[in-house]
Amino acid sequence: MANEPGNRIRVGVDVGGTFTDFVLVDENRDIIFTGKRLTTSDDPSAAIIDGLERLVEESNTTVPDLDAVVHGTTLITNTIIQRSGAKVGLITTKGFRDSLEMGREIRYDLYDLFFEKPDPLAPRFRRLEIPERVNASGEVLLPLDEAALRIAAHQLADEGVEAIAVCFMHAYANDAHERRAKEILQAELTDIPITTSTEVAPEIREYERANTACANAYVLPLMRHYLGELSDKLAGLGLKQPLYLMLSGGGIASVATGREAPIHLIESGPAAGAMAGAFYGRLTETEHLISFDMGGTTAKMCLIEEYEPEHAHEFEAGRVRRFKKGSGLPLKVPVIDLIEIGAGGGSLARVDNMGLMKVGPDSAGSDPGPVCYGLGGTQPAVTDADLLLGYLSPEYFLGGEMNLDLSSVEAVVDEKLAKTTGLSVTDVAAGIHSIVNENMAAATRMYIAEKGRDPRRYALVACGGAGPVHAYGMAKLLKISRVICPLGAGVLSALGFLVAAPGTDAVRSYVSRLDTLDWDRLNDLFADMEKEALAQIEEAGADSAMVTMRRRADMRYSGQGFEIDVPIPDGTLDAASGEVIRQAFLDRYEELFGRQITDLMIEALTWRVYASGPTPNVELNFAGQQIDDNPADKGERAVFFPETGFAPCKIYNRYALRPGDRFRGPAVIEERESTAIAGPDTTISIDEHLNLIIDIDPPTEEGND
Amino acid sequence: MANFDPVTLEILWSRLISIADESAAALLRTSFSTIVRESNDFATVLMDANGDSLSENTAGIPSFVGMLPDALKNFVKRIPIEQWNPGDCIITNDPWIGSGHLPDITMAAPIFHKGKLVGFSGSIAHLPDIGGAGWSSDGSELFEEGIRLMPMKFLKEGEPNQDVFNFITANVRVPSQVIGDIYAQVTAQQVCAERLQEFLDDAHLDDLTGLSAALLERADIAMRKAIEEVPDGTYRSVLNADGYDEDETHIECAVTVDGSTLHIDYDGTSKQIARGLNSVMKYTYAYSTYPVKCALDPDTPRNEGSYRSVTVSAPEGCILNPTFPAPVNARQLTGHLLAAAIYECLAQAVPEKVIAECGGAPTMRSVYSGVDRDGNRFSQIFFASGGMGASPIADGHSCTAFPTNSGSGSIEAFESLAPLVVWKKEFRTDSGGAGQYMGGLGQNVEIEVTAEDTIRLSMMSDRQKYAAKGLLEGREGAKVEIIKSDGTRPHQKARSTLDPGERLMLSFGGGGGYGRPEDRNPDAIRSDLRNGYITPDFAKRHYGVDER
Repeated sequence: MANEPGNRIRVGVDVGGTFTDFVLVDENRDIIFTGKRLTTSDDPSAAIIDGLERLVEESNTTVPDLDAVVHGTTLITNTIIQRSGAKVGLITTKGFRDSLEMGREIRYDLYDLFFEKPDPLAPRFRRLEIPERVNASGEVLLPLDEAALRIAAHQLADEGVEAIAVCFMHAYANDAHERRAKEILQAELTDIPITTSTEVAPEIREYERANTACANAYVLPLMRHYLGELSDKLAGLGLKQPLYLMLSGGGIASVATGREAPIHLIESGPAAGAMAGAFYGRLTETEHLISFDMGGTTAKMCLIEEYEPEHAHEFEAGRVRRFKKGSGLPLKVPVIDLIEIGAGGGSLARVDNMGLMKVGPDSAGSDPGPVCYGLGGTQPAVTDADLLLGYLSPEYFLGGEMNLDLSSVEAVVDEKLAKTTGLSVTDVAAGIHSIVNENMAAATRMYIAEKGRDPRRYALVACGGAGPVHAYGMAKLLKISRVICPLGAGVLSALGFLVAAPGTDAVRSYVSRLDTLDWDRLNDLFADMEKEALAQIEEAGADSAMVTMRRRADMRYSGQGFEIDVPIPDGTLDAASGEVIRQAFLDRYEELFGRQITDLMIEALTWRVYASGPTPNVELNFAGQQIDDNPADKGERAVFFPETGFAPCKIYNRYALRPGDRFRGPAVIEERESTAIAGPDTTISIDEHLNLIIDIDPPTEEGND
Repeated sequence: MANFDPVTLEILWSRLISIADESAAALLRTSFSTIVRESNDFATVLMDANGDSLSENTAGIPSFVGMLPDALKNFVKRIPIEQWNPGDCIITNDPWIGSGHLPDITMAAPIFHKGKLVGFSGSIAHLPDIGGAGWSSDGSELFEEGIRLMPMKFLKEGEPNQDVFNFITANVRVPSQVIGDIYAQVTAQQVCAERLQEFLDDAHLDDLTGLSAALLERADIAMRKAIEEVPDGTYRSVLNADGYDEDETHIECAVTVDGSTLHIDYDGTSKQIARGLNSVMKYTYAYSTYPVKCALDPDTPRNEGSYRSVTVSAPEGCILNPTFPAPVNARQLTGHLLAAAIYECLAQAVPEKVIAECGGAPTMRSVYSGVDRDGNRFSQIFFASGGMGASPIADGHSCTAFPTNSGSGSIEAFESLAPLVVWKKEFRTDSGGAGQYMGGLGQNVEIEVTAEDTIRLSMMSDRQKYAAKGLLEGREGAKVEIIKSDGTRPHQKARSTLDPGERLMLSFGGGGGYGRPEDRNPDAIRSDLRNGYITPDFAKRHYGVDER
């Protein structure tokens, strides 16, 4: 798909909660076009079709000329959050139907006596048990009771279920019963889609696997309908190529994958953002990067090492409390490993019962929004503080489409916060700005520390409306010396769809100590996974000769509860590979924890294959629409920095800056969807791709006091 | 006291909490102990130069509240502060100085900044083994429960104290894991020290003195305000527990609220017994202050100031304040009950702030050990919980522990590590106490031994005689039951054996209900019936609903 000659005009579409973003890259003409429509929640394909037609028109091309449309959507996440999915029935091994509801039996909030737990996706009366049992080695202890299964099938049908999930104990080790159960269910209930746990998550741990199967079943009817409709509509517009989708792990897949395992698309939007970050890493040759995406409600941070975002194997969906880990449904799906916290332009500031100022996680969102929007917001938000500090222009918000109301913000901040805390309005605003930066920096520090790394070696690539406003402050807290602000950061994640490679992950659990591992069995597993991955990736349009495979395993010292991710050699493995793997484990352990223990047993639980096709080689040239001939100098206004207080600061027009431009901070650089802030201790330059690079001076010995 | 404005204080406080959290993350990720990771049985604390706690890790369990500062003060009494050098690490597992039983290592290390002592890092974690009889409750004196380390340097200026090292490795079953876990604590201490030094640099502070005073004062005020909302008075309760064989135990609790202070007294509680159910005073204190904080002031971050207004007393020589050398290994079997005793008192004053008794308090633990079919030794703890008590606004959570917070691992993972097959792990129908809000359900678990040889079982449980009571006319939950497939009942607090092919049936207790059953919403009763949380018989008996 991506790199073949002639395959040159491609479109990325990101359906978000509020906006649907578009990017068109035409490599023949070397141009990029972007677009934005309001998301049409009732039928997301409406906004897609509308926006696509407009985009091809603006860029002077036609739908039949498009070589690819790559798509990602929040539809799945939202379906789970809003609990608007299918009526799911679950079939389990006798004795285990309640695993789905018991979960991990943990209180995610230690001090709240009244905490809520998420409801299971299938209520108990739609969870039925079948006599059958396989043990941990995959041996059958009790055969599948097919007669009982047939009865259960009709019981569920009588309950009116719209999708069925099947999860049997130890099916990751032997899925014969699950496969047979699916055959029988399909024969009995022709119209009801069936998801087995091993189809979507062939990994050890029954609760998470059952949850993943149920979540897949829960969104499947909706996604099949949606993808079918969208494909038809696109074909109706004359699209000759198939539609592609982005998986949560950052790979591009075919619609067929989306129809069978839609749950693997659950984080496609954030994955695209991370892939875009990786692209900017390659573009600017920055090997160690943190992508930082700050929008209205949340901030997302993702570590990108050597142009690859970090991967994780679990994702928590449908949290009862959005930013509280443990309050949702853990799913075993490959995802890009990123953190999300409740810090955005809409995050609200308040004074708590101890008289301390707090910011977030509650957000004003876009409706009513911050006070300055003048849409009815009454509680000061981060954007209000940014306005008071001079970072945002009252006249040039969203490129001038919205005027911000400075005087009402001053009044509200004074009334709600300054009077209670005894601080000046400016101190309150500076405080809000610092607190939200501190919150994001603390979360990032923790996220990086858990990987055994040091934030100082990274650069920050900032996107989202509020990202470039806060990146400088956050970088200083993390002692990061460089911030990169790409042009057009507002649609950055849609670009991620076009710079990602076709890719997929395959996984199998086989629990064994390294010294007693059955190498033949493992070789068979890898062969099986690689075959599966290759088939999927070819379906996504990649040439099999160009596919690279990387193997990893989740390993630990026997007895430990946490697994670490260890690289595994290619090719046929044998006892000699055992030593190589052992050493790889010890190295990785030392990297993460700073020590190794050589006399303990090591075991592996789960084996993984990451397959990817060639990365598209996109050239960036925004010349098509973004550059203007106005002067770069937009004059001066008073802007607040902690070192200087309010002082005159130059304002720049982002679209008039040219490669090679270079100037000292303090500076405010304005573009339509965002504003970049650089303090007095910075040098700002524009690279050949029109990225804004902010280099922060090394701190002086005495610090800043 | 230095003046910190509401913004600066918020920023600095958050950072001190994240220092404790980062330290905790380092401990959790490098630890071997099942108990550390499955039941969060650890804590990390940052203390100032006076040894007062400044911040504690957010996600730890309650049993270590207030223990480290006290232990540190004891350490300093024994090892003069002039002898604490950079890189030193001091440890103990003495139950009275440390945290209440021998498997817990209590560790503290000095933190220096610009050549000056500015604070201490502290941690407590449960080791995989400490020698002696292993994890069980049937020892008759402390000496059977393992080795005891009085406060001593584990590290001297960064180098291991070889004598201590050798002594520990010679006396425990899994020396590599034990040493590995002690080092996990060392790593946590180092992370804490590095982060604090970085913090002081960033905040341009030379030490923590002024900041510490400001933070402690805020937490103190928050707790006092919360206590002031409780009407003054003395509220009393009595709670009976199974005890050990004929030695039944009971807890007498009096909560006295006087303005902004709250005192909990256990006068009248059973004498200490010659089995490992005794809860040393520090453990009693921790499990007394924790439920108070949950009920009255859940949102304020914890530090030394949080506990200044709460005092706890128990007569010396009772099960809540036993004297050396009382056996204390399974002190959770007593300590976990304190929340219920305290809530029964508080319910008389602020019923809207508390929950009914929990079927999962104390926890029921079973430990399986022996040799598997390949000749390898195994030892596995089965983690699962009974039902939580109902609250004034909702049904109790099924299979959820309170006041401890131990999760339950995967059965597939459990079976892959031990020659055991779990045939059933399901809700226990009718086990939640009826009420306007129903107690959480317990669970039924059935475990078969598939080893070739007889294996050892160690049970630690209670509530076979006394169920979790309801509040405000809510009914009690179901009691605990433990039965083998041959119909016999293994001792609920002692070590016994299981033969190949034998099955053990564990029925975990249900939580107590809240409010009168006749006030329960009929829709909720219908849903309970439809989902099989209750039987029609139960509905008829408690709610007078006839669905047949």
